Amino acid sequence: MVTTSAAVTDNFSLQLTFVLFLSVVVATLFTALLTAPQRDEIGEFYLGNRTMSPLRNGLAMCGDYLSAATLLGSTGLVALTGYDGLMYLGGTTVAWMMVMLLIAEPLRRTGKFTLGDTVALRMPRQQRPVRLALAVCTLAVATLYLVAQLVGSVALLTQFTGEPSPATRTLCVVVIGTIVIMYASLGGMPGATVIQIIKAVMLVVGITVTAGWVLHRFDWNPNTLLSAAADRSGNGLQFLEPGLRYGASTTSKLDFFSLELAIVLGLAALPHVLMRLLAPRSVGVLRSSVVWAVGLVGLVCFAAGIVGLGATAVVGRETIADTDRTGNASVLLLAHELGGGVLTALLSCLAFVTLLAVAAGLTLAAASSLAHDLYGEVIRKGRASEREELTVARLAGVLIGVLGMLLALVAWGANSATLAFLAFAIAASALLPTLVYSLFWKRFTAKGALLSLYGGLISSVLLVVFSPVVSSTPTSIYPTSDFAWFPLQNPGIVSIPAGFLLGWLGTVLSDRRESAPYEEFEVRMLVGAADE
Amino acid sequence: MPEFSPWPDDSSAFHAPQSRPISPQQISHDPEFRSLRRARLRFATRATALSVGAFLLYVLLSSFAPGVMNEPLIGHFTLGLALGLGQFVVMAVTAWRYATYMRTKVDPLADHFRSQLRHEPLRPRPAAQAQTPAPAQAQGTRGFPTW
Repeated sequence: MVTTSAAVTDNFSLQLTFVLFLSVVVATLFTALLTAPQRDEIGEFYLGNRTMSPLRNGLAMCGDYLSAATLLGSTGLVALTGYDGLMYLGGTTVAWMMVMLLIAEPLRRTGKFTLGDTVALRMPRQQRPVRLALAVCTLAVATLYLVAQLVGSVALLTQFTGEPSPATRTLCVVVIGTIVIMYASLGGMPGATVIQIIKAVMLVVGITVTAGWVLHRFDWNPNTLLSAAADRSGNGLQFLEPGLRYGASTTSKLDFFSLELAIVLGLAALPHVLMRLLAPRSVGVLRSSVVWAVGLVGLVCFAAGIVGLGATAVVGRETIADTDRTGNASVLLLAHELGGGVLTALLSCLAFVTLLAVAAGLTLAAASSLAHDLYGEVIRKGRASEREELTVARLAGVLIGVLGMLLALVAWGANSATLAFLAFAIAASALLPTLVYSLFWKRFTAKGALLSLYGGLISSVLLVVFSPVVSSTPTSIYPTSDFAWFPLQNPGIVSIPAGFLLGWLGTVLSDRRESAPYEEFEVRMLVGAADE
Repeated sequence: MPEFSPWPDDSSAFHAPQSRPISPQQISHDPEFRSLRRARLRFATRATALSVGAFLLYVLLSSFAPGVMNEPLIGHFTLGLALGLGQFVVMAVTAWRYATYMRTKVDPLADHFRSQLRHEPLRPRPAAQAQTPAPAQAQGTRGFPTW
């Protein structure tokens, strides 16, 4: 993946990064342990400190939502492909609109700890099979995205040390994975919140300052920045026009649209983001938090676009592409050029902390789903004590962390963006239809939920298996064989409609009497519960 | 009618004076609840269609009508880049409209129905309530740590 690397940083910034990263980790672990649930109270473990102010909640949401892929991957995409990369950043921002307008408040009013609780409130009699299906889909999405984060940590390390030896690689994944498990299993939601907020503050400040620095260098004149970027992009003005990356053929254009669809719809259904929405104390606090998050996410994406353009304008496309073919190194190269070793170290520390925070949120969300939906409701049929469920949740966190580490070690060469995109596609085609139908469709039945959950999961996985990602091109996992009859790398354009269609079909085919009463649920969704 | 009146507010003839909490089913059939539901859903679908739809349309236009998007405006700013910036403006306006709409149109009605569920003495109807400072707001700024 990476050709030359040691060029990104010198020894000084490597050491500084290490020291900074270590101090952030030690400080946050310490705080996480201090704020960890003291009593065996399951609500505190799942939801954390519920008296946080809207700004803090918004920061935590922003922290959960923006991963290292946005910081390194998207800026790299902007640096290499200009306009097409900017569209990708826009998708990340717009996806938060779905959360705000459609999902946040109804989910908060009808939910308790997991997505399964909302669906169980909607169809109480058939909740067990649906909870099982939800747990399976949540686990699939969270594990894939977790592996993407861990693989990303190896890729990040590569930029410091060059191609790492197997021992370094294993050490990196194991160390990051262990810290993630400690945040999630020991700290629970309070611990995850601490790291999310610290990461979000670092991210917002770091990227805004870098963007300001870039603009300052171009005399605060965006036109100068654009022309310098176009000059040094090696593509001239084409850099500022659509099509550099995805414009080769109709297939690649459709592929890009498919990706945008999965991002816009899938980010809104990621389990750790949904879980975060349940944390605020009241709907009023939730609303202000979500609006704060709109501003923060928008600001970070906007600044990331400027940083990406600045990387091309200052460093030049050739150096960026030579260092790392995917462009992931662009931010660090730019930092080195602008602020020397110190800024590089700050931004790489930020990248590692970002990885860590998102991975901790994911592990926690998957562990809650396993403990609450699978263990508490399906296996123990609601008879588990709080203490028992809490123990299972902690163990599940360890289990998922270890599973993620093992998969990351096997798939360390995989492209972390591809893994993340598959996770978005599954979230958009399996979790989103069930969520939206449960909230808003009167007739929705358990049969529809099961069909859309399993159908969405299977269709997106199968489409990727038979796509160029797995076979037929030189960059595939099996480059020598060819069973890729599906031409697109991103399954969203087919699997998302399939998920919605299957949910509709399952509902229409089931007996009208199977529809659970919707009135009470609807009143609760729009008005709230009596004891709220 | 004073707020502490023991008699329920019967300005809406639909509710008989009660001595027990109203069930969610009863609320569900209240015409006012239906209009609340309609308004809430209509706003959510319209705003989502507008903001998400505008973005997906922008992606499609960029992919399949690059000629239009490459129209230069000022310097290196093309129509496409300007529309891209416009997405952020659309988002900001949507978020602002959403917060205002929910606060002024949805919350008063929802609070009203919730107090009925709880069987509290009924508050004055939303129209009267709108003049008093909204309690949810005061609650939001108090009781939190300092930042």
